[in-house]
Amino acid sequence: MKMEDVSLSSMDNSKMEGFAQEILSDLVEDACLGLCFEVHRAVKQGYFFMDDTDQESMKDFEIVDQPGVDIFGQVYNQWKNKECVCPNCSRSIAASRFAPHLEKCLGMGRNSSRIANRRIASGNNTNKSESDQEDNDDVNDNDWSYGAEKKAKKRKSDKVFLHSLKQPVLSNPNSPRRSKSMKHKND
Amino acid sequence: MVCGTAGNKQQQREINMSKESQMRAAINQKLIEMGERERLKELLRAKLIECGWRDQLKALCKEVIKEKGIENVTVEDLVAGVTPKGRALVPDSVKKELLQRIRAFLAQHST
Repeated sequence: MKMEDVSLSSMDNSKMEGFAQEILSDLVEDACLGLCFEVHRAVKQGYFFMDDTDQESMKDFEIVDQPGVDIFGQVYNQWKNKECVCPNCSRSIAASRFAPHLEKCLGMGRNSSRIANRRIASGNNTNKSESDQEDNDDVNDNDWSYGAEKKAKKRKSDKVFLHSLKQPVLSNPNSPRRSKSMKHKND
Repeated sequence: MVCGTAGNKQQQREINMSKESQMRAAINQKLIEMGERERLKELLRAKLIECGWRDQLKALCKEVIKEKGIENVTVEDLVAGVTPKGRALVPDSVKKELLQRIRAFLAQHST
């Protein structure tokens, strides 16, 4: 008798279901056995109990499951409503607005240099000699053409690209940019 | 093998049963050859880890080990102590999902 002679009629639905259950049963058994072998090997090789410590330490580091607190037991939104005093201008600022405020206040960071550049660019028409000098300074100090950036229209993609390049220069304490902005602040 | 020419019910049943077992064997073979059994195993393993079954069983294993002692525990001890509960602890959702896939395979490949 060949296999082709066997038709579906010899296996009706309930038998198919039984067969499927049998296959599932085999798979579950495989999974159980696999686990047992893994555990047994771990026991005999001595690493099964490695992540356990004494009961006391385990209690200390147990996962915390309370409202308003994270799993380590620390309060995580306690800085939401706090206010900080700015060391520069001595104003009281909300905690979430503190970092951007500091950026502008101290004249560091991407945004404040952008604003400063814009001021310089607009001050170009009225104050020509000063901006020329700045041009020369920057041409000497930067590898790429800083003048081109100012004169070109400020398209968003350019801004993002150029400022991502500028980032390493900003972190350099000898960068001319910081002193420049400070200069303008006092004008 | 007896050819069922006569109306002998017993013989006919035996023939049907051997047809059936042949079919089962053929399907099992296909399951393995097409890699579907491996995929099902992996799927089951992933689901069981996700639902915490593996950790539950590990805890059961710990009990067996503490009972028999680390030095003396054998694979048979673990298997005997853990497998029956392991079968019972598989969540219904996992069973359902796997059965669906198995049935689909059977429907596709049983002719």
